[in-house]
This record gives sequence, C-alpha cells and structure tokens, in this order.
Amino acid sequence: PPPANAGRAPGPPDGGWGWVVVLGAFVSIGFAYAFPKGLAIFFKEIQDFFGTSYSEIAWVSSIMLATTYGAGPISSILVNRYGSRPVVMFGGLLCGIGMVSASFCTSILQLYICVGFITGFGLALNLQPSVIIIGKYFLKRRPIANGLAMAGSPVMLCTLAPLNQFLFDNFGWRGSFLILGAILLNCCVAGALFRPIGAATASVKTQETEEGKDALKEEIAKDAMEMNRPTDVPMETEVEEEGGKDCCEKVNQYLDFSLFKHRGFLIYLIGNVLMFLGFFAPIVFLAPYAKHTGIDEYSSAFLLSILAIVDMFARPITGIIANSKWVRPRIQYFFSFSITFNGTCHLLCPLASGYTGLVIYSIFFGLAFGMVCAMLFETLMDLVGAARFTSAVGLVTIVECCTILLGPPIGGTLIDTFGDYKYMFIKCGAVMVLAGTFLFIMNYYNYRMLAKEEKERKAKEEDPKSVRTENEGRNNWNKENAQDGPELEPLSEERELKKEVNGT
Amino acid sequence: WQTQGSPSDHLTIGHKVSTLGPDLTTQEFKQATKENMTNATFAVYEVLLPGVLGTSVEKNITLDRAARVELSCILNSKYTHLKNPQVTWKRGNETIGHFNKTENSWSIQLRILDHSKLGSYSCTLKGEEISAKFHLQVPTIEGKEKPIICYEGDTAVMICKSFGYTPIAWTWYRINGSEKILINETLLTEKYMIDRASANVTHLKILKLTSRDDGVYWCEAAFELGKSEGKVKLKVLSFMVPLKPFLAIVAEVVIFVTIVFLYEFYSKKKEKSAEEEKEFDQVEQLKSEESNGLDNSGARHRKI
Repeated sequence: PPPANAGRAPGPPDGGWGWVVVLGAFVSIGFAYAFPKGLAIFFKEIQDFFGTSYSEIAWVSSIMLATTYGAGPISSILVNRYGSRPVVMFGGLLCGIGMVSASFCTSILQLYICVGFITGFGLALNLQPSVIIIGKYFLKRRPIANGLAMAGSPVMLCTLAPLNQFLFDNFGWRGSFLILGAILLNCCVAGALFRPIGAATASVKTQETEEGKDALKEEIAKDAMEMNRPTDVPMETEVEEEGGKDCCEKVNQYLDFSLFKHRGFLIYLIGNVLMFLGFFAPIVFLAPYAKHTGIDEYSSAFLLSILAIVDMFARPITGIIANSKWVRPRIQYFFSFSITFNGTCHLLCPLASGYTGLVIYSIFFGLAFGMVCAMLFETLMDLVGAARFTSAVGLVTIVECCTILLGPPIGGTLIDTFGDYKYMFIKCGAVMVLAGTFLFIMNYYNYRMLAKEEKERKAKEEDPKSVRTENEGRNNWNKENAQDGPELEPLSEERELKKEVNGT
Repeated sequence: WQTQGSPSDHLTIGHKVSTLGPDLTTQEFKQATKENMTNATFAVYEVLLPGVLGTSVEKNITLDRAARVELSCILNSKYTHLKNPQVTWKRGNETIGHFNKTENSWSIQLRILDHSKLGSYSCTLKGEEISAKFHLQVPTIEGKEKPIICYEGDTAVMICKSFGYTPIAWTWYRINGSEKILINETLLTEKYMIDRASANVTHLKILKLTSRDDGVYWCEAAFELGKSEGKVKLKVLSFMVPLKPFLAIVAEVVIFVTIVFLYEFYSKKKEKSAEEEKEFDQVEQLKSEESNGLDNSGARHRKI
C-alpha cells in the first residue's frame, strides 16, 4: 500500500534553486522578447543585398513575432506532456539551427522561413515554458520572481543592440547570423537549469522496482495531486483508451480548453487583447515621432535607451511592490491601474513639447511599460492557478497574437492618413485606458464572486456529509492559497483527476 | 534646381564661420527669382558680406547642367559710412574684370557651360579683409562609409546614390596603384553586373567573390558639367573568420550544460545517500525501540 504521507502537499519551494530558475528564465525570456527587436539593425543591409523594399524585410520581424506568440498553444501542449526543461532546450536548439541556416540563405523567402518561422518557433518554445516554470517554483514570492524574470527583456535588448552592431561591423550580416545562432544556443543552458519540480519523476523510478504497475499509477496520481500537476500522460492515455475516454477530456489533457468557461480567464483575455492594440505601437513610433518633431537621429534613439533603462528597473521593483501584503490580494487592481497609467501617458504625449518633454514621456512610459510587463503573467497565474496556467498562457498568447500584429500597422495607417502622430498616441492611449477600466471593473466583480463562492464552499465543507476523505489533501492546499489570492479553480481539476484514477 | 541654405533675416554669422571651418554654408542669402530659359536655367545667389573683420562667408552651389548664374555680394549696412567701397571679384588668383554694381551690391554673371567654369568665386571688400566665397560644384555622390563585408563565394552588392540630380551615366572602377581599372561588365558577365536600379541609383553586383576582390571601388557619375565620385569599400572574408567565435560559443554552451547536469546528478546522489542514512538510522531506532518493548507503529511509514 502507498505510504501515508500522501496527505500533505509540500507546496512550491519559493526560493533555493528557484532563484537559479529565475536566472534561467531571465535569459530565456530576454532572448524571446529582445531578439526580434534587435534584428532591425541588419535590415538595411539585407534589403540592399536582396534588392527588396523595406516592408518586405519588415515581414521577417512580423513573422518571427507572430510565430513566437502563435505557437504558444503548441508550447503549452509540449510542456504539459514533457515538462519545461526538454522544451526549452529543444527551443534553444531550434533557434540556433534557424539562425545558422539563415546565414546561408540566398533569398528573402528562405529568410522568412529560417529567421521567421524556425527561430520564431524556437523562441516560442523558450518563452512559455520559462514563464510556466516560475509558477511551479514560486508561490509566496511569485510576483518578485516574475518581475525579475521579465526584466530580462530590457536587459537583453540593451545588450543585443550594441552587440548586433558590433557583429555587423565585423562580420557582415551572414557572419552575424551565424554567431547569433551560437548565442541563442545559450537558451539551452537556461533550459538545463529548469530542474523539474516535484518528486514525481524520482518516485516513479524507485517504485517501479518495488511495486506493481497499478500501485505505481495510483502513486503518480497522488503525487500529481499534491504537486497540482497533470499526471504523466502516456500512462493515463493507455488506461483511458481502454476505458473509452471522452475525447473532450482527452484534448483538455493536452490543452485545457475548459479555460474558456473560466470567468477570470475570460476577463483577462478580453482586457489584454484590447490592451495589446495600443501597447507596442508607441515604442515602434517613438523614434520616428521624435525625428518628425525635428530632433536628430541619435537623440531620438537615446529616448528608446532611456525607456529601456527605466523599464529594466521598473520590472523588479513592480514585482516587489506586487508581492507586498497590501497589494498581493488585490493584484488585479494594481494591474488595471498600471494599464490605465500607461494609457494616460500616451494621451498626454502630444502635449509634450521639445526634447525635454519627450524625455519625461519616455521615463514615464518606461515605468508604465515595465509595470505592465512585470505583472502580465503574474496576474494570469493569480487568476487560473499554477496548474492550468500552462494551457492558459498558450491560449492567451495565440489570441493576443492577432492584436499585437495589428497594433503597429493600424498606428502607421493613422499616421499616414492624418499626417500627424498625435492621433496614433490618442488611439493607443484611449484603447489602453479603456482596457484598464474594463479590467478594473470586471475584476472587482470577479473578486466579489470569488469571495461568495469561497463562503459557499467553506459552508459545504463544514457539513459532515461532504466527501471528507477526498478533500484531505485539498484542504491543505486550499488553506495555503486562501491568503495568497483567488486560486480556487485548480481544485476542480484535482477532483477530475481523482475521478479518473478511481474509475480505473 | 536646388539651392542650399534657407532665407533668414538674421545678421551676420561672422564668428561662427571662423570657428567652424570653410565648408559652412551661409545662413543669410536671399532667394532670388528664377527665370527658366529655353535651354538653360538662370538663378541668382546673393550673399551678405559679414560685418566682422577678417572673416569669410561661403556658399556651396550645386549644378548638374549648363546654367546661367548670377553671384552677388551685398554690403552690410555697417559699411555705409565708407565713401568709396571697393569690391573685387576673383576666381582663384584671377581677377574678374566686369561686374555689375548697384548701390550696395556687386554681382557677376557667369555662363557655366562646362567643367572649366566651375570652381570658387570670391568677392572681397578692399581694405577690410572681408570676403564671401561661392563654390560651384557638381553634385556629390554618396557611396558607403563603412566597408561592406562579404564572404568568399558569395555575392556583393554595392550601391551609389546621387541626391536630387540625375547623372547621365555611371561607371565603376578600381584603383590599382596609380592605374584606373574600369569594371567592364560586358567583358566579364559572370563576374560583374552593373544595374541602374533607378535614375539616381546604381548597383554593382560582384559574383563569386574571392579575396582578390577585396578593396576600394569607385562609382563615377557623369554630369553635363563634369564627373563626381563616390567610394565603396569591400571586405571579403573567409568563412573561417566567424566560424571561430561560433565554435567557441558552442563549446561554452556544451560545457555549461554539462556542468549543470553533472551538478544536478551529484546533488541528487548526495540527497539519496543522506536519505538512505536517515532510513538506516530510523530502522536502527525501530529495532532498538522494539527491543525496548515500545510499540511505535507510527514510525513504520517509510519515506521514499
């Protein structure tokens, strides 16, 4: 019979090796976000070489970004099945292969495939698992961990920009792509640091030798429950196929589509999709806008550097603030506030006069941008819980993919139509203020509903007729979570798993 | 037909010119009327003579085709006290005899028909050491400041641009010592391709690069009034050059990954042996407790 220690859920370590994982995530996330932006340095030369127009070259970046976000669900499915570590290492390898093959390209179409698709897909396999594993290693200090890991993006950007320029001046674009391929292989190192959490894998090995297969499956199921991780899928599917499992449940095992019924998830999705319409366009057009108002090229580029530096510090600081006991329970409000703040900055930008005004705008924009990014995934984790986060992040990124790609072109069209940048800023600001307000109101409603459900649940559990034996482990988990925010949804998955195990 | 600089009502910029060097274009001139003649354009360029002693004002005028030009120097109101101001027009050391004089301006009319008429024309106020210079030039060509880096066996594309003016023809050549080697694409069609991408842009494509193609290339634009050059540098590298840093970084990645996995393996081993020790101690304890007659069933659960 399995040991009686299955009643106590150990919970995430919140430290120790977790900080090393944060370092790995820092590198991984940094490359995923900063690499597409850093490539812009090579575009002029590649454009001359292939004799194409600028927009054809810009497609390389767009395809890369689209693939990185669009491949989110695939990333989620792979993480659900294999865990973060192999996926990130494979992603790093893919990025390396993509860039190395790009250095041998002889046509723009080949560049689209090598740089756009292959490297983009590799980066997608880096981004999602890194964010996911933070949720597995941290609970109480998760906002700090998220803030620190997301700070990788501006740091990498500040590093990659001059590095790319140096590589380009010394090796031309082909040599640079070759060397960048090697640099991207460092994502494999980051992935190696993502030690799988939980004793599930270790216990499988020791128990296989001692006990029978049935007991083994039960053990895995129990461990998985404690760790709030979906079970080792190959085993389950064997059993389920014999039992004639419902196909919806099977799909949900790989990618949890039932999230679309989750209230918090839907709120987050709608709010974020709206926000991304106006999120990236101002960064894309900041330097051209500065040049348009008569500022010289270097000072315009410097505005972006100011933004990146402020962003770099804003992210961990936001993480620390979000972790404080006043903010953590109401983190969704903080997130809505930062989005609204961001939008207000954009609305006020047209009023900025001269270089000083733009510098002030850049500082505030950097601050707001950092605040939003630091909490982007933290709030999603907070809403759906660590277990379902794997699928949630995949679904969210593929839906956001559309608006992210649409944002800058819409801004560009506005600028071209009216000949004035201020309409673009007004559009971005308005969209973000709207998103922030929507999130604020809906989260207020969500918090209230969750508090109500919590009360109902507690009332049921007091009742002796309830299924107490099953809920042993669940109660402990519940108590651990109650103080940290509304994460009651993962428990329904637990119940599902239990049913399946008991059913075989 | 373009002029440089912009109209302004400010006074002289005498000091600035002396500190910033001779190529500074003046900030004061008056945009003159243009008369389009049937086969040549006519433009008037005026310059206000500076009020500070020992200074000079310069102006660059770009011409790409034959034109009639009137250059005039206007005396600053500071000098109205002079009874008989004398202004001389010179081209180099050669004095230009006939010029038109009005109340406070001196001007010369030039017919620029060929290259020989281009150059620097200056008007000097006698006795006061104040002068203004007009530089009549062909349009400048932009090549590339930084070298283009390509690899052996690859193709290089070199681009020269002319801004605003359309050259009659483009030619490319290399300099070997003191010799000009023309790049003749008809002679070596598999090696060179010269393409006029648009009216003002020329492309030179060099195929199948070798280390001998390394060096400086000149693109020459021929205008009606003369020729203008741009420079493009080509650097041809062997593939070994980026390969070395690439292999170094790959080696670094492999080493780090190995270190991480080895560290994990050893720390797990240590954990296991520590646990086994603990179990051993527990079993010993159980045995001793049993022998002591204590029934401690709670301690029976083994942690794996």
